[in-house]
Amino acid sequence: MNPVDVRLARDGNLYVLSRSNASNKNVRISVVTPIDSEFLFEFANWGTEPGKATQPTAMDFGPDDRLYLADEFTQTISVFEKDGSFLTRWGEEGSGHGQFNRPSGLAVDSAGDLFVVDHLNARVQKWSPDGQHLSSFGTFGTGHGQFNFPWGISIDDQDHVWIADWRNDRIQRFSPEGEFVSAFGSSGNADGQFDRPSSVHCGRDGNIYVSDWRNDRVQVFDRDGTHRETLVGSATLSRWCQEFLDVNPEQAGWRENSGMAEREKLFWRPAGIETGPDGRIYIADSCRHRIQIYQRAPEPALV
Amino acid sequence: MTTTTAATDTDTALMAHLLRRAGFGATRNQIDHYLEKGYEATVEELLNPEYGEPEDQDLLDRYFIASTEARSVGHADPQWSWRMATSPKQLEEKIALFWHSLLAVGGIKLDHGMEMLTEIDLFRRVGLGKFRTLLLEISRNPGMMYWLDNQNSHKDAPNENYGRELLELFSMGIDQNGEGAYTEDDVKAAARAFTGWASKPTMPPFFLGPFPMEFRFDPEDHDERDKTLLGETGNWNGDDAVNIIVQQPATAEFISRRLYQFFVADEPDQQEVRKLADVFTENDGEIRAVLRAIFNSEHFKSEEIRFRKVKSPAELVYGTARLTDRFDLPDMDTSQLANYAMFMGQHLLNPPSVEGWHEGEEWIDSGALVERINFASSQLERTDAPGVEQMLERVRSAGDSLSPREYVNACLDAMGAIQLSDRTMNILTEHAAGQSIHQDQRNRATEMFQLIASTPDYQYC
Repeated sequence: MNPVDVRLARDGNLYVLSRSNASNKNVRISVVTPIDSEFLFEFANWGTEPGKATQPTAMDFGPDDRLYLADEFTQTISVFEKDGSFLTRWGEEGSGHGQFNRPSGLAVDSAGDLFVVDHLNARVQKWSPDGQHLSSFGTFGTGHGQFNFPWGISIDDQDHVWIADWRNDRIQRFSPEGEFVSAFGSSGNADGQFDRPSSVHCGRDGNIYVSDWRNDRVQVFDRDGTHRETLVGSATLSRWCQEFLDVNPEQAGWRENSGMAEREKLFWRPAGIETGPDGRIYIADSCRHRIQIYQRAPEPALV
Repeated sequence: MTTTTAATDTDTALMAHLLRRAGFGATRNQIDHYLEKGYEATVEELLNPEYGEPEDQDLLDRYFIASTEARSVGHADPQWSWRMATSPKQLEEKIALFWHSLLAVGGIKLDHGMEMLTEIDLFRRVGLGKFRTLLLEISRNPGMMYWLDNQNSHKDAPNENYGRELLELFSMGIDQNGEGAYTEDDVKAAARAFTGWASKPTMPPFFLGPFPMEFRFDPEDHDERDKTLLGETGNWNGDDAVNIIVQQPATAEFISRRLYQFFVADEPDQQEVRKLADVFTENDGEIRAVLRAIFNSEHFKSEEIRFRKVKSPAELVYGTARLTDRFDLPDMDTSQLANYAMFMGQHLLNPPSVEGWHEGEEWIDSGALVERINFASSQLERTDAPGVEQMLERVRSAGDSLSPREYVNACLDAMGAIQLSDRTMNILTEHAAGQSIHQDQRNRATEMFQLIASTPDYQYC
């Protein structure tokens, strides 16, 4: 299975959304503790019926701790309690108001409304928490406010909406009302350039994190789009990997002999990103089947 | 089987024949497009695809994320399926299919979907070029080295697998009596030439997914002594062995025969094969030159060659998929196409043995035939598909005063200028005569498309 999105619940547990090929059924949301990778439970396993997921793309928590899940196969948004209990789902295929054509990104604003990237319709739709369609913005194209197969979305602390405009190789920023504000990025592999950005995340540290999907890296920007840092992956063996190798010494030997220790650390098609109050950055390393975690200075305590 | 000419002109039928053999077939509109180019210009376009990543590769990777890092054949399926169902460079995919069966690597043993896709891409990249280049590259292909155990071939204990298959199955072949134009000593010499050639140890894929396989040459493990291969003596290595092998008349004959069987007819015509072997030799083993000679020959163009070759499952599945023209975005159905081919007996990326698949009539048994008919019929039932819509429009525009025979011919033309035997034609004409004139015309045409796809004739290309 391939992790494509990751979110922290307010209780500190980590929710990891995985998908696979359409014909493979390794689909689920797994819930783990972020400190010691303790598996807790899973839900939204493969299926097309309510409460299941087929080709899920993104998820986010609302202020009421409900989890919203986008599925580009069933063309729906599903709603779960944080314990995985299924509540409802809405959506249908189409291009009219309130319809979807492959929803791919999802984020909740401070009021609890949902913004859904409706990628083949080249627009972003706004929904109330109970599934009432409120508004939409965006058309297909390369101009400001236009999209070409957009994917990820994030909402900052001022409720500005940031979109990973995937095939336009740029990040676009919009006001809470959907008015274009700014954009940065172009096609390429230099600093500040992208090759199909899959995800954008407004970090708690004020930085903008972008999964530069086909460049296999995560770039870090400030809010005016100035490049600050590039992460290429620094993975160590997870606890689960180490346990696997401990009980499979033959494969541990293959790993030793391969001479690929450095390559093993790198990202391969990074996707969803999350930041925690403790300064941690969680990155779904989708083709390496893991979450890479970086540690930054924690947020200053409120006084 | 005698054939009844459909309501198409000679050029149209010939162009359709070319596109069925050099590719997976074409819609009637695509045939018109190529007719404007002309036959020989179309042959040249087919023979000279510009190698490179398709424009929609990013979309494919995004939707089928597990195929990007395909750890198994099952994960890799959508990547090749998509190309066979949609690539405008049809011969690039068809030649990959040809080499996939001739230079076969089995996916189950390799258990590395990513490497299988790398091999298919190798066939796209050099499969129409010099056979020498292809054989050199496949001999350095880490998947092939692993598949045929060459990592176990050491200078003091050569493993003969690769040397044997290189001569017997990949280049020179054997006759009906199991005799080749080489000896057991040549097999031993070839094996010694390839000692030290292997795949590098790679990461186990079980916890982080696959890592690219890499070729490794270990000079310390290579037999540096003289070897006599096919009458030539020297301190040969694998490159030298390939250079000696590709110059053999038996290689020209064997490769030409296999190309003939794949692109022309299941039963080889020896006289034609000899002509092709001469072209192979005169052009330093360039596959493109041999195929050009095939497609431009009067023998290939003749009526007697058409609809005599049993479609492989891949040809049936992807040919029908192309007819529907409905694969404009990767979706669940894309990955299902490979499953349909597997149900019909061709598990792509996982040939049954180093011999590849046995082609021709062996494709058909009662179970496979049911799968073929059900699949083709179900695809052509999809009137929302652009290709089926085009077919319906063509039949509608043929007029509403057609005789039953003319009606069947209009349907055959709409399905890509295909033809039927007299017997099948008569049965379908009788059926058309029995159809109610009050029947919905779309339903009537769709029913006829499905009937045509269910005939024995549709199993041939």
